[in-house]
Amino acid sequence: MKPILVFVVIAALALLPWALDTRYVFHIATMIAIMIPLALSMNLMLKLGQLSIAHPAFMGIGAYGTALLTMRLGCPPVLALLSGALFATVIAGIFGPVFLRIKGVYFVLLTYAFGEIINLIFQEWTGLFGGNSGLYGVPKFSIFGLRLTAVQDYYVLALIFVVASYAAMRAIERSDIGAMFESLNEDEMLSRSIGANALSWRIAAFSFSAFVAGISGGIYAFYIGFLSPDPFGFRLSVDLVVMNAIGGVSSVLGPLLGAILVVPLPEILRGAHEYQLLIYGVCLIVFLLFMRQGLVSLIQPRRKPA
Amino acid sequence: MGHLLEVRGLTRRFGGLTAVSDVSFAVEPGEIFGIIGPNGAGKTTLFNVIAGHYRPSAGKVAFEGHDISGHSSDEIARRGIARTFQAVHVFTEHTAKENLRRAEVIGRRHNPIAYFAHRKRAATADPREIAGFVGLTEAFDLYAGSLAYGLQKLLGIGMAMMVAPKLLLMDEPAAGLNPSEKKAAAVLIRRLRDERGITVLLVEHDMPLVMGVCDRILVINQGKPIALDTPSVIKADATVIEAYLGEDYEFA
Repeated sequence: MKPILVFVVIAALALLPWALDTRYVFHIATMIAIMIPLALSMNLMLKLGQLSIAHPAFMGIGAYGTALLTMRLGCPPVLALLSGALFATVIAGIFGPVFLRIKGVYFVLLTYAFGEIINLIFQEWTGLFGGNSGLYGVPKFSIFGLRLTAVQDYYVLALIFVVASYAAMRAIERSDIGAMFESLNEDEMLSRSIGANALSWRIAAFSFSAFVAGISGGIYAFYIGFLSPDPFGFRLSVDLVVMNAIGGVSSVLGPLLGAILVVPLPEILRGAHEYQLLIYGVCLIVFLLFMRQGLVSLIQPRRKPA
Repeated sequence: MGHLLEVRGLTRRFGGLTAVSDVSFAVEPGEIFGIIGPNGAGKTTLFNVIAGHYRPSAGKVAFEGHDISGHSSDEIARRGIARTFQAVHVFTEHTAKENLRRAEVIGRRHNPIAYFAHRKRAATADPREIAGFVGLTEAFDLYAGSLAYGLQKLLGIGMAMMVAPKLLLMDEPAAGLNPSEKKAAAVLIRRLRDERGITVLLVEHDMPLVMGVCDRILVINQGKPIALDTPSVIKADATVIEAYLGEDYEFA
């Protein structure tokens, strides 16, 4: 399949909600658009060979940060959105130098623990975050006097960020930064022997991907208008892993396709909610057995050494 | 003054085992310096401490007068010390050309700040020219993983050259090569020094190669230095011969 055709199909899918024109479809489309940048941020870390379970926590930090800045300090929404994401970036920048010295399973466990701790803080610090009963009344997003109220407005906002984050991740992938990441992932000893500062690249990727996750979180907060710790938990990490595995890690198109397929699943399986995890498991096994490179391998066959 | 690399009182212990014990030597600019010793003598450990893979337990390593002991391998590389590996290390799913180009980019734009700051700085070397130098012109556009072992080792030397090192550390450059490739490797090592001015420190098992290319040789046994001299003196040294006694080494 030609890449251009894939983009035509994706663009048509992106426009589909207007054709169907129901609130419900727009809601699902908006959730897909919020999750795509998150799946992309996890993909960036996977390109460096590190599976980060912490990104839902960075989304949560972005979401709560944005919400609290607008609610408590009356920050303009755009400023709150950027500040919330920058806060996630700073946290990633602080913990990154410690976490990223560790590789493999232990890195996964560390980021898991980090995510759980952040989630516990959201749950237990009720004074600030509202605890499990949640944080109500996040004001609506507005920019240049334009106040976003309808679900369609938030869909457009989320789509704009999908395009921006996809373009950024694609640019990274195609540039020499992509070559650097691939080299560090493939043969770190060789890369370091010619001078690559591996840790600094990992910190940069971790911080940048936390920023992207943070913006997604902020958009989510404005859209939903109510925050509880639950959506930023381990379950979302699993979803993001599934998106990357089904879509494919080798290209940024992978997590995009993965998100389009995985996010609507709970809605499609609404009648059989208890089977959702089972279906996830079966899908994962099928993809790991028969399509290691994910869906993108159907579009861009991985070139083989001659 | 004037030593390119100076190793002083270097000791490396692993638990109760002392792999390298109080080794001192200096490598002069423009020299080809060899380190030999029987199996398990501590050559590789010594090499890995100099290359920054292990921290020294005691002693120090200085490069151009700066103490580099305990620095990480990438810090050491950025100071101008490149290395090659005993086993092949190349990016197998890319062409020889892309491997060489990547090595240069990785070296010049080594961290995110340098990446943007050094964007416009001229490349330190030209992949095609380096490929010609090491003898990979015909393999230039082939996938590195598809190349014969000997060519992959040459590619490794080419990649190290792409970062324009002052000192090249070579870990058993002859390992895995056939006799004619070994001869070619010896010629290449000499040309690295003569035509490029790169000082070479090599660790090697292959006696004809070491005796043929090195200006001076350090012999270590059981982690301790036992001789340091020119090849002709080393060949005749009684303690060296004794250290190798019972092994099938021929001092050709």
